[in-house]
Amino acid sequence: MNDSTSQEKCSDCPAMIDKECTVGDMVKLSSYRPGEKGTIMQVCGTPEFRLRLMEMGFVRGTEVKVIKYAPLSDPMEFVIKGYHITLRRDQAGDIMMARPEKAA
Amino acid sequence: MDEKIVLALAGNPNAGKTTLFNALTGARQHVGNWPGVTVEKKEGTLKHSNREIHVVDLPGTYSLTAYSLEEIIARNFIVEGSPEIVLDVVDASNLERNLYLSVQLLEMGAKVVMALNMIDVAEGRKIRVDHSRLEELLSIPVIPTNGKKGVGISELLDRAVHEVEYSNDKPRSIIQYGTEIEEELSKVEEKLDRMIFRLGKLSNRWIAVKLLEGDSEIAKKLDGLEGRDRILAQVEQSRRHLTDIFADSPEILFTDARYGFISGAIKQSVHVETADRVHLSENIDKVLTNRVLGPVILLAVLYSVYLFTFQGSEPLVDSFETFFKWLGNLVSDAMPEGMLRSLIVSGIIDGVGGVLGFTPLIAFMFLAIAILEDTGYMARIAFMLDRVLRGFGLHGASMLALMVSGGIAGGCAVPGIMATRTMKEPKERLVTILVAPLMNCGAKLPVYALLIGAFFPGGKAQIMFLLTIVSWAMALTAAKIIRSTVLSGPSAPFVLELPPYRIPTLRGLLIHTWERTWMYVKKAGTVILAVSIIIWAMMTFPSLPAEQAKSFDQRISKLSSEFLALPTAHELFKTEGDLEDFEAFRKQLADGKAKDAENQKPEFLALAQALGYESKKLKIDDSRKAAMAQLADSYTRYAEEKNSLENEKQSAGLKHTLGGRIGVALEYVFKPMGFDWRTNVALVGGFAAKEVVVSTLGTAYSMGEVNRKEAVSLAERLKTEPGWNPLLALTLIVFVMLYNPCFTTLVVIGRESGKWRWSLFAMVYTTTLAYCMAFLVHSVGSLLKLGV
Repeated sequence: MNDSTSQEKCSDCPAMIDKECTVGDMVKLSSYRPGEKGTIMQVCGTPEFRLRLMEMGFVRGTEVKVIKYAPLSDPMEFVIKGYHITLRRDQAGDIMMARPEKAA
Repeated sequence: MDEKIVLALAGNPNAGKTTLFNALTGARQHVGNWPGVTVEKKEGTLKHSNREIHVVDLPGTYSLTAYSLEEIIARNFIVEGSPEIVLDVVDASNLERNLYLSVQLLEMGAKVVMALNMIDVAEGRKIRVDHSRLEELLSIPVIPTNGKKGVGISELLDRAVHEVEYSNDKPRSIIQYGTEIEEELSKVEEKLDRMIFRLGKLSNRWIAVKLLEGDSEIAKKLDGLEGRDRILAQVEQSRRHLTDIFADSPEILFTDARYGFISGAIKQSVHVETADRVHLSENIDKVLTNRVLGPVILLAVLYSVYLFTFQGSEPLVDSFETFFKWLGNLVSDAMPEGMLRSLIVSGIIDGVGGVLGFTPLIAFMFLAIAILEDTGYMARIAFMLDRVLRGFGLHGASMLALMVSGGIAGGCAVPGIMATRTMKEPKERLVTILVAPLMNCGAKLPVYALLIGAFFPGGKAQIMFLLTIVSWAMALTAAKIIRSTVLSGPSAPFVLELPPYRIPTLRGLLIHTWERTWMYVKKAGTVILAVSIIIWAMMTFPSLPAEQAKSFDQRISKLSSEFLALPTAHELFKTEGDLEDFEAFRKQLADGKAKDAENQKPEFLALAQALGYESKKLKIDDSRKAAMAQLADSYTRYAEEKNSLENEKQSAGLKHTLGGRIGVALEYVFKPMGFDWRTNVALVGGFAAKEVVVSTLGTAYSMGEVNRKEAVSLAERLKTEPGWNPLLALTLIVFVMLYNPCFTTLVVIGRESGKWRWSLFAMVYTTTLAYCMAFLVHSVGSLLKLGV
């Protein structure tokens, strides 16, 4: 999904991975539907936010599964490294993922 | 005996650290604060193999970066408190993320023993952890434990003591970060070694890692040391170098590498049989956080917390009230009338009793909150409500702070404000701090309970529910306004773990409830006692000038002699002493405890009967009935006049006191709401602590009584007091809900926000809001003639 929004995101991504980020086939975690899972390619956002997320286990190559949306569709609930965590939709938008697959 | 061992308990939130702490120390624990900050510090001692072990419970954290105050506290204790050993509690069913903290502890060079906790949960999920393999990989003792059942505790302590006694301090470099990073690390480490820099027992390698991660807290430790500039220059150069090579910042590289190491360790030591199995907890969540059912259940849960708190605690609250009433009567009877009795009965027993009487209610509420926290439902509340709270410029984590402050009526803004420490974004945190005092804290409950009990006896739970909605609406509106004016800006990240549902241990719940309730009682026992005495003094001194008191007395005795001068009265009451005897008898009758009725003169009995008192012991005497009826008429008239004169005297006396004068002065301000000076004095007392509002009202009204035995409960008194009606009660409730935070809260606001002007801001805005809302309620109510 080499769309314009992911490019926009990358232009202010402090991770200095602009080139990588625009490489096709990456989608935002926020576009995942409940029951879908996939692998983290890159975490964007402010340095502090990135570090916090990575400490909680959102590191490259980790599998994330979307469990559900909150009653008002936001925030979202995920399983990562065997535990459940919730992030807001716009924060999940800072996590670039491989294309989703249906979880078993 | 050998020296005491200091053992620090570290671990992630939700890893069962508290349960393990309780299992280790039992009842021998002490709760305090970390020096200089208001984060809770739990300590306890135990004896094992003839060594005394002092356990310090560190705040639960996910990491040891300088992200939150908890992390800094935990880290500083390991660095500066120099514990002999760190006990790392990890959740065996959630090992990977838990090991992130463990790896950092190892990097620091601390002696670590690992409790592989909740091993039963892991086994239940078919997660097999090879703990001896993990022991090899991490080169620290790893012991499977079950904190709930106390499994593995003894072995854990054996290994810990053994480790303290026999193992050497060995610098650990369990993670190799790869050639490029290692090269830069050794450059920094070498410079540190050369300046003979040491930080506690910690390895310079760890310092080098932290410096390369750009940790400003650690960089500060170098301040004032020779060679600091050279080191920081090297750090700066290395960071730039690494950033250029890896196209990412060094702290991210380190995090990546740590998780890389952990992944490897997990692969070698953990075997999961069924990876995608849906656990019980997830099935529960399918219902509890369901899009439709979730919010309905949420409301039902909140509502049942009220029912539990109010109806569950009712018998206990009643018996507490009875006890304090009994105590007051006991002291009244035992002591001669005078200043000291007034101080003890009206000042101390009424004041403290009024607050302590609500202790069961507070305890039930804390128990309910502890259940929500320990089961894991509290996090779901934040999950479901974040979208709503965000709309008001708050944060999902604000939920917890607001809940503790009294989101479910009965919390306290002080721990609530402290709970905001987990919030990183300063603006959202500050807004949460500023609106937290608007919630219905435990100290406001006695006021509500009193007024609801007196004026809305039919709908206690319903009115409380309504008040909760009102306080939320006020807090959210205030938050929105503050966030779009004084503190505008974008919202902060929301990263929240949803722990698996757990059945809480009874012991854990009770300890939790007991600690919080005890804090409340301590506050009531100390601050409130002092404030009660001050308020009593304010309402006693200066007393009425002698001439004025004398003139009242003269008018009263004139009334008596006029009554006695009546021919019918004179026949029965020869002297004023007879009249006093009869009055005492009549009061006993009114209380329903006229035990010596048969010893009274038959005329007294007849008159009492004519006055309408009924008793088997009152014999009917038809011949005198007409005369007695006439006498009863005159007596009633006399008694009423005398009573109103006495009330006038007391009123004048109270108004003359300092408190009365302030109250009277405020009558102009509160005229639109219809608060009289007694209410105003109570509100002034509430500036110190909201608990005082009820006790001051109590003091104000009980002091107006001639005889304590005749004193009806405050609620009954207010009901019959002219000027009081449901509308006034509601107006007062709204005012008390919103006005000025208590003194303690103001101090905490100042300390937590770091600026005293925020305390001042909170004072001004809340009181203004309270005044406007009370005015609105009273005006609308009067206009629509509701509750008047």
